[in-house]
Order: sequence, then C-alpha cells, then structure tokens
Amino acid sequence: MLKPILLVEDNPRDLELTLVALERSQLANEVIVLRDGADALDYLLRRNAYADRDDGNPAVMLLDLKLPKVDGLEVLKLVRTTPELRSIPVVMLTSSREEPDLQRAYELGVNAYVVKPVEFKEFVTAISDLGVFWAVLNEPPPGSLRLSRRGNQ
Amino acid sequence: MSNAPTSLEQAIERCAQEPIRIPGSIQPQGFLLVLDHSDLSILQASENSQQWLGQPAQALLGQALPALLAEGVNLRELLANLPEDEVFPFHIGDLQLHPQAPCQEPLRVLAHAHDQVLIVEFEPSARRVSQHSDYYPLVRAFVSTVHQAKGIEELLQQAVRQIKRITGFGRVKAYSFDADGTGKVLAEALDPGYPSYLGQSFPGSDIPRQARELYCINRIRVIEDADYQPAALVPELNPRTGQPLDMSFATLRSVSPVHLQYMRNMGTQASMSLSIVVDGKLWGLVSCHHEQPRAVDFQSRTACELLANVLSLQLEALEAHDSTRFLLDLRQYIVRMLAAMADHDSVSDGLLAQPEVMLQFARASGAAIISAERCDLIGHTPPAAQVNALVHWLGQRSGELVLHTDNVRRDIEVLPELAEHSAGVLAVAISQIHSHYLVWFRDEQARTVDWAGRPEKHIGPQGTLNPRHSFERWREEVRDFSAPWEPLIIEGVTELRNAVLGIVLRKAEELAQLANELKRSNKELEAFSYSVSHDLRAPLRHIAGYSELLNELEGEHLTERGKRFLGHIEEAAQFAGSLVDNLLNFSQMGRSALRLSDVDLNALVEAIRNETAPDYAGRTIIWEVAQLPKVYADPAFINMVLHNLIANAIKYSRDRDPARIEVGAVQHADETEVYVRDNGVGFDMAYVDKLFGVFQRLHRMEEFEGTGIGLASVRRIIERHDGRVWAEGRVGQGASFHFTLPHQLPTA
Repeated sequence: MLKPILLVEDNPRDLELTLVALERSQLANEVIVLRDGADALDYLLRRNAYADRDDGNPAVMLLDLKLPKVDGLEVLKLVRTTPELRSIPVVMLTSSREEPDLQRAYELGVNAYVVKPVEFKEFVTAISDLGVFWAVLNEPPPGSLRLSRRGNQ
Repeated sequence: MSNAPTSLEQAIERCAQEPIRIPGSIQPQGFLLVLDHSDLSILQASENSQQWLGQPAQALLGQALPALLAEGVNLRELLANLPEDEVFPFHIGDLQLHPQAPCQEPLRVLAHAHDQVLIVEFEPSARRVSQHSDYYPLVRAFVSTVHQAKGIEELLQQAVRQIKRITGFGRVKAYSFDADGTGKVLAEALDPGYPSYLGQSFPGSDIPRQARELYCINRIRVIEDADYQPAALVPELNPRTGQPLDMSFATLRSVSPVHLQYMRNMGTQASMSLSIVVDGKLWGLVSCHHEQPRAVDFQSRTACELLANVLSLQLEALEAHDSTRFLLDLRQYIVRMLAAMADHDSVSDGLLAQPEVMLQFARASGAAIISAERCDLIGHTPPAAQVNALVHWLGQRSGELVLHTDNVRRDIEVLPELAEHSAGVLAVAISQIHSHYLVWFRDEQARTVDWAGRPEKHIGPQGTLNPRHSFERWREEVRDFSAPWEPLIIEGVTELRNAVLGIVLRKAEELAQLANELKRSNKELEAFSYSVSHDLRAPLRHIAGYSELLNELEGEHLTERGKRFLGHIEEAAQFAGSLVDNLLNFSQMGRSALRLSDVDLNALVEAIRNETAPDYAGRTIIWEVAQLPKVYADPAFINMVLHNLIANAIKYSRDRDPARIEVGAVQHADETEVYVRDNGVGFDMAYVDKLFGVFQRLHRMEEFEGTGIGLASVRRIIERHDGRVWAEGRVGQGASFHFTLPHQLPTA
C-alpha cells in the first residue's frame, strides 16, 4: 500500500488547483488534505480528531508556508524535532520568494521549496514533478532520512 | 660671547631698570619736606629749602614744621582734611612762612601720605602764567562737547585744543599706543614755528617700561625746565624705611637725566605729560611741549588732570561702545553661519552657502573650509595646495586650537610659498583628529610708517642708553604684515568653533535617528513586499489556473470570441504576475547587501547571449562584443544590469535586418564605462529623463512588451555601486545605454 501524500493548504482555490495538478500527475497515492497547521499536527501526532487513524507516516508532506493557527514553519520545526516524524520529506509550497522564509525553512531542514508559479501549466509541472520525486522515487537526500530508512528495514 | 646684537636690548633693559620712583632729588621750582606723621617733625628736606626757609636742610631736621610757619596757621587742622582713600598730593592751602624766613609770599602747599611718612611740597603760588584765572568754564565746555565727538580722533583733537588753552604750551599732542608700545600721534595743536608730529610714530623704546607703569598710577608729570639743577634730599634715606624716599606721587619728583637729554634733543625745554588710562591700561598720552621753560601752576595742573580723566572715561565709553557693536556684529555673523549650517547637510555646505558672511565675520579677504574629504576655498586665498600644506602643518602642532598670525613669513617659516599669497592667517580646528579646520586669510597690507626720527637708539660709552638725537621724519615701508587679527575676532572664532561642534554633534544625532527611521521603514517595506508577493500572486495564480482549466474543460463550448476573451484573461494574469515578480526583485535590489568580487564582463555577456537566444531565434544579429575589462562589483546584480540592457537591445532592434548590437567599454581615470548600443528604434532625447524611472515606458504595449521596471532596476543597481547611468538615442537611429563603475568601491 502506497503511503499517502499529505497536503496542508488553507486557501480553497490553491487547494483545488493543487489537487487538479496532483490528479494530472497520475500518482496513485491517496491525498490527505488538511486545512491548517493545527490540524496537520493533530494528524501527524495522531491526536484529537485523528487519534484513531491508521499509523504510518505520509510519503511526502506538501506544506503551505502561511497557514492559520500554526504556520508552516512551525509545523516543519515540530516535524524535524519529533523523532518519529523526522524522516517525513517536507516540501514547502508558497507564494513568497522572500529570503528570510527560504533561509528559515532550510535551517529547519526542509527538503524542497517551491514558489508556486503564476502560470498554471508551470504549476502543474512543478506539482507533479514533486509528487513523482517524493512519492514515487522517494529518493531521500543524505542525512537523517537515510538513518530512518535503515530504521525501516 | 659677542653681545653686539643684543647690546641695544641690554641698554634698553638697563634704562628700564633706572629707579625713577626714587631719584633722591626734586625739581627746584619748589621745596619738599618729609614729616613724621605724629609730631610733624622734619625727617628729610630738599637741600634747596634754605632758599625759602633760610636754614640749611641739615639744620631743619628734627624741627617741627608748625614752628616754621607763620603764627596762626593750624597745620594739624589743615592736614586733617587729607582724603584718606587717596594717595595723590592734596592742596591743603596757601600758607605763609614764619616772619624770619626769606620768602614772605604765600606758598601753595601740597601734602600726601606715602612710604610711611608725610610728604609736603611747597611751590610759589603767585607764579601765574596762564591767562585764564578760572578753569571751570573751560573744563565744563570740554565736558559738554565730548559727547558730540564723532570718533576717537575728534575727541583727542578737542582735548589737546583745550589743554593748550589752559596751559599755553607751544605744542600739545595726543598719541595712542599700539600693542607693541609704538605711539602714534593722532591729534595735535601747535603754535607757529613748532614742528608738527601729527601722524608720526614714536618707537615704544622712547618710554621705558617702568615709566609706563608710573604713568599708569600717577597721571600727570611736569618738567618746567629741562636744564634744571636737581635739589637732593637730605638725608639720602627715608629714616622710617631705611630706603630712598618713594616719590611716585610727588609733583616735584626729579626725572631721569636720559629723559632731560631727550627733551633737549627734541628742542623742548618744558613738558607736561597727562596719562590716558583706559581699562586700567596706558592707552596713550597727552604730551605738552614748550621751547622755553614754562611753569604750570597747581590750578592748571588740576584742570588738565580733570580733563585727562574725562577724556579717559569718554575713550573708555567709546571703545566699549565700539567693541560692543563689533561683538554684536560678530554674533550676528555667527548666528547667520550657524543658521546656514543647520539648513544644509554639512558644515561645509552651510558655510559655502553664505561666502560673504564667512569673510565678513573675520574681516578676511579669503577663507578655507577643510574637512576630511574636501577643501573649499572662498574669496582670495592661497592655492589649494598651499592651503593643504598649511593644514598639514597645523595638524602637526599640538594643543592650541586657534592659530593667528599677522605675519606668515615670520611665524610660519616652513611655508615660505604661503607668505607669497597671504600675510595673515587665522585658523581654528573644529576637530584635529578629523582634520577639520576653518581658516581665514588676510592680504598683506604694505604700509608706510612715518617715524618721528630714526627709531634706533644709541648706546653710550658705559653701555647706557643715549636718547636719540634725530626727530626728523623718517619713513619706513613695513612689508609682510596683514592687518592684525582683532582680539574679539579671535575670541569669536573660538565661539564659532564651539557652536559648530554643537551642530556637528546634532547632525550626527540626526543621522543616527535617520538611520533608525530608515531601518524601520526598510523593515516595513520588507513586510509590505512580502505581503504583496504572497497576497497578490495568489489571486493572479488562481485567475491564470482557472481560466486555463476553463479553456481546457469547456473550451469547445465557447464561441471564438469567448475563447479569445479567455486568452486575454490568461495573458493579463501572467503579465500581472511578472509585474509583481519584477517589482519584488526591484525592491530587493535596494535592500540586499552587495557581494563584491571581480567580475568577468565578457563571460557575463556570453552567458546572457545564450540565455536570450530563444528571443532572437530566426533573426540576424551582428554582435560586436569588445574585449571588456574586469570590474569589481556584485556579479549577480551586474548580470541583471547587462541582461536588461542586452534584452532591451534585442527587443528594440527586432525590426532591423540585420540588427547590430555592440557591447564595449571605456577606461577612465577613476571609473570604467560600459555601454550597450543597438541600431533599433531609438528614442526621443526629450524623454531621456523618463527612461530610468519605474513604470516609465516610451512605447505602446502592442509595439514592445515590458513592465517598465528594467531600466529602473539598472539605475538602482548602478547607483548602489556609486556609478552613473545615462542613455543616448534618436528616433529610428538606435540607442546606447551607458553605465560606469568606480575603480574604488566604498566598502558597502
């Protein structure tokens, strides 16, 4: 069974367009949609509404930078500091090119960072590339991920 | 050791050592007795007393004076009138001697207490020589006119005229002393036959130092006959002190034989000097001369003394008034300069904005404002190189903040060239560490001094000073001097310095505050850019996404028109997206730090040509890329600049076949100029100022696409490198865009 793709996005339009893009990339993974950072944490830590979900981490988490309640960088930080979550590949999705965010996200150990392009075709390409790379090839970069893969074996 | 060069100085010093207060003798027109305070017995007597009293001086000693006076004279009662707070001789009355004395005329008796004894002087009272019996109207007339005198010289002229009337001296002149002690005759009244000294100068050495001091405390001195035979005091010493009697205040005091010789050399037999004392200093003298011996009786002396006092007071008032006005003017200039400095970005700019005030303030012909980066000159100054040499010299001195000289050649020997241009220098260090100076210059004032005779004195065989013989006018040309710097100006300069320091400090504070505000607004701008990028891009993305989806899914149900509209929506959204991206880049350019390194411009141009190749596919472009120099700049930013310029050249030459694009460079002394030239549509130079503005476009959208930010970015980047940008072009004739990069970049 393929691990699901976790999509954390608050904006309904971006959400719909991203889902269309993922659909077009013809990935077989299930896409789990979460609408804010708090929800995402609940899901990941299997608490509150997600206390009863099946265990296991997602194949990749597509995480919007700006989220209500708990923002993307905070979610990322918690993922990277929680031992059982640390291995989840995280891709930041954002509208912003602003340097401090980029810097911060890299400091916190993001795996990739994508500025959502305005042009839809580019957007589709970017999303499906990401999906294929992280959900299918799932070739982790050097570092903590390799350790965790060893742990999975 | 040869003492030749200094023997004159030594002689002058010896002259200044002469004990003029204790000559041990008197002038013989009267006689002098020294009395004991308590019993009025005679302690000392002048040897000519015998002439009046009929007894030798030696025989008088020990006798009580009252016994020598006519009966009925109560000497004690008269002495009781002596003012307690004054040391000057007091006229206690006209007294007669005892009946056996050879002199039976009443004698004018002056007494004063000094040197622990009572000094009593007797002089004939009937020797009236003046034609005026009552001086009060003369003195009153003078006092009432002094207020009307327009200036110092007019005032002095009135005074000498009145004094001449009172005393009947053949020549009365008034002179003032300058800082060196040189006296210059400013007013004169004379009888026919007397040589005039008006306008002439008397060397300071004519009046030795101790004589000047005595002039200050005893303000009148009379010599009735230069050929007088002094009458010695018997005994020689004052028994109360064991020292010669101090006759500083005695009217009959004998004078130096050198001075008597001086008088005779000058052809004058009688003289009277009145001191003009202003602010406790000997300002000048009224000097009266007569060719024949001449007596000046007590009343005339008193009137003249009074007159001289009024004159002194009036001069003091005039000078105080002048200096107050001068001070007010100085203050005003300072205030104007400070206001200008406050209005401008720097002290230099402020002072330069009001060049005439800067000069008037110090009554200077030229001025220089030196700061770490620049040297600005105002008016007539030495050339900048000389001024810099002066500043260097000033920097090596330590301590003194203010330097002033009215003779550069004499006082700044190491800079002889400076003296060729200016004779006077007044400099103040605003900051010595930062080499920040204000300097004023005065031109040489070659002037002619008419000396009343050659100033040199002659030394006698014993090394004593012989008074000069020549009083013939002798003309001297004085070179290398400027007008001396007025003490008030020198003080004003210090005041100006302190005020400037205050302004500099305030400016620094303002700058710091500005920097803080800038930091804050930069932060705000960052936040703003962030939200623009984030919040504006999202809806644009949605428009683009949904219109594309709509076209894909429902496109076949739409009319051709509907499809066209949908296409426009997509295009518009994309354009708006790139506009937002460009704006963001532009704002980042102003904020991010420059990362400077050596940049290979040829490599950049080559890369840009490859990158933009798709844009000119199918066109013929003749590239003329010269060998470009390496520059020191931020490579990413310079790449952006070249990319913009080359992309523009490609875009605006697309109607040309072949298009020609030239990239070249020119090396200047301080900077490298790089240009990109094309043979495209060009532009009208009338709009050249608009080219580099944000959102400024010179072409319609259908003609040439673009967001209008490219050249604004170019300018911003180049300006951050302290370079310049400009463009040249003609409609239909192509355009060239130039930028420069300084060889030495600030450590930005």
